[in-house]
Amino acid sequence: MILEVAKRELIVRSRTKSFRVITAILLLAAIAIPIAIKVWPASDDLEEISIGLAEGAQVEVAGADLPAVITLFGTDRYDFDFVDLQDAGLPIDDALTDDEVDVVIEPGPTIVWKDSTDLELGFLLDAALQQQASIDKGAELGLDSAEVGSLLRPTPIDVRFVDEPEAGDENASLLALVSLATAFIIPQVFGQLAMTSVVEEKSTGVVEVLLSHISPRTLLTGKVIGIGVLALAQMLIILAGMIAAVLLVNTVDLPDSTWSFIPTFAISLIGGMAVYITLFALLGSLISRQEDAAQVMAPVFIPLMAGYIVGQTAAFGSADSLLAKILTFFPLTTPMLLPVRVARDAISGWEVAVALACLVVGILVLLRVAARLYEFALLHKGTRIGWAEAVAMLRGTA
Amino acid sequence: MLTTMVERLRISGLRKNYGDIVALDGVELAVEAGEMVGFLGPNGAGKSTTMRSILGLVSTDAGTISWNGEPIGKDARRHIGYMPQERGLYLRMKVHEHIAYFGRLAGLDAGVASNRADEWIERVGLTDRRDSVIQELSVGNQQRVQLAVSLVHQPDLLVLDEPFAGLDPVAVATMSDVMAEQVDSGVSVVFSSHQLELVQDLTERVTIIAAGSTRATGRVADLRNSSPRRLLSVAWSGEPPDWQPSGATPIEAPAGSSAFHVSADTDSAALIAEAARHGSIASVTHEPPGLDEIFLELVDA
Repeated sequence: MILEVAKRELIVRSRTKSFRVITAILLLAAIAIPIAIKVWPASDDLEEISIGLAEGAQVEVAGADLPAVITLFGTDRYDFDFVDLQDAGLPIDDALTDDEVDVVIEPGPTIVWKDSTDLELGFLLDAALQQQASIDKGAELGLDSAEVGSLLRPTPIDVRFVDEPEAGDENASLLALVSLATAFIIPQVFGQLAMTSVVEEKSTGVVEVLLSHISPRTLLTGKVIGIGVLALAQMLIILAGMIAAVLLVNTVDLPDSTWSFIPTFAISLIGGMAVYITLFALLGSLISRQEDAAQVMAPVFIPLMAGYIVGQTAAFGSADSLLAKILTFFPLTTPMLLPVRVARDAISGWEVAVALACLVVGILVLLRVAARLYEFALLHKGTRIGWAEAVAMLRGTA
Repeated sequence: MLTTMVERLRISGLRKNYGDIVALDGVELAVEAGEMVGFLGPNGAGKSTTMRSILGLVSTDAGTISWNGEPIGKDARRHIGYMPQERGLYLRMKVHEHIAYFGRLAGLDAGVASNRADEWIERVGLTDRRDSVIQELSVGNQQRVQLAVSLVHQPDLLVLDEPFAGLDPVAVATMSDVMAEQVDSGVSVVFSSHQLELVQDLTERVTIIAAGSTRATGRVADLRNSSPRRLLSVAWSGEPPDWQPSGATPIEAPAGSSAFHVSADTDSAALIAEAARHGSIASVTHEPPGLDEIFLELVDA
């Protein structure tokens, strides 16, 4: 009977127009994003800078062209445009005041700003002018620009880390963030679908016919399985599209933790869906109208938000803080924290095993409690059941 | 020929309180095999609560429900078909799919459930709507689906809560025919309704409850005859005379007629003779009150 209930949920929900449209949109997005990254790589975003050269500014010394030196220094950062102020008929102050140029180099050499200094650009111009001056002095000493260039050529300086950073560390954070967002969004989306389903059954009275044939526990378990499988099916479709697109364009450098991450993420996501679909279904049994849903949903968002906020810190900051460690073992937040810490490679094997064991035990306890409350609440009509009344039902004193 | 009826369902002394509210206060109800019983009562009398308790949907505080002489349990309840007062349907499912689904939940194999669904779709006149989504059906057709759902697993007892509510005459006829067929084939039917004329036509026996307790139970004819009143109705050939039998209470009558409530032990022949002395009689009836009046007498008591 459980499978019959699950099958009905799966079939009926999957053929709704909204489900199909959302799946199609997400699939297209999953395929399009890796392709878009490949087709339109991130632009250099060079900052356009206009430099005014005042009359008499040293433009060329010993064959070294000042604009060429400046351009060489700023080639990764700036797109320079040089304006000869004399040719353009622009006085220095007017050129800066009217924003015709960003900075002016006048004889001296002097760097003239409008009203404030751009530290990064100033440092670059200073270095370029220093080099130009060195070439000038070299010429006075009888050195040509190549010899000066040889003198000024920087010595290669190596870099060493005491703790070697991992390859793909940025992608590990990205992987953690994607898993966190998925574990945060998917269970609540499909949990609310379960809630809608329960309220619908109560409001139409079909629950009475159902319970004349099957037990509340069967109905609840079938619903959790059916909607859970529906969610997984949607995710697999989207994931398959994304993997196909990634393989096609080969755009992502996967971090080393990917292969230990995937099974942990899959198990904890399934666990997360079991937890939250059960919780939302249970909340649905406390009310008789969809309009009352907001009144009973608030408590579920407390662990969801806590897991999400701590998970974000763990994804980009310290993944083994005390709070992150504690929430890894709390079944309502395990689905969010565990994959994040695995993606960041900040958790040991025994911790993963204990966290998953806690999650499984948590699900079994929750299903047991939920089925008991569900039994009392499903046939309750009218006003919503308060928390005190729900607790009394659980104790058998209502 | 002497036939022995087998008691299929018996409810005794059923009590249920919701806090300070007394929902059931000693309800008694019995249904025999192959019998249709009308379960009557005003709104809030406890009919739905009683019916839901038969299905185990309400836990009662006291009383017993027995099935073929044994306390009713899970297995026995598999043999009951139920139609709740609210239209218990999945509105987004298709007609055949819905009926077959409930057949599966009742324990039928997938193939059997599908075939039975088709049989009932044809019987209730929904063949051309087999694959329609239920929310696209009229209220009457949704009710037919609901009836098919309650029958798909071939139950021994049908519990129908207000099955005629909101139906047009054609749908009422279909529903009545199916119920009568089921009774003929040995199925027991207990149903509630406020359409007392229909109940009187369909059933031999009724149970009337009010304020959670049973006020009367028995054959409709016996209940009518047990009334302390009779209805005397005289249609006059000419202008109605200014006449009222002693001890009678005049009641509303059509133009050209007089009608009275008289005591059941009044000599009807003497009354008719007295009427004839006051005017020219076209026709006269002297009969027990209808089920509707009996109902009001018992409920108001």
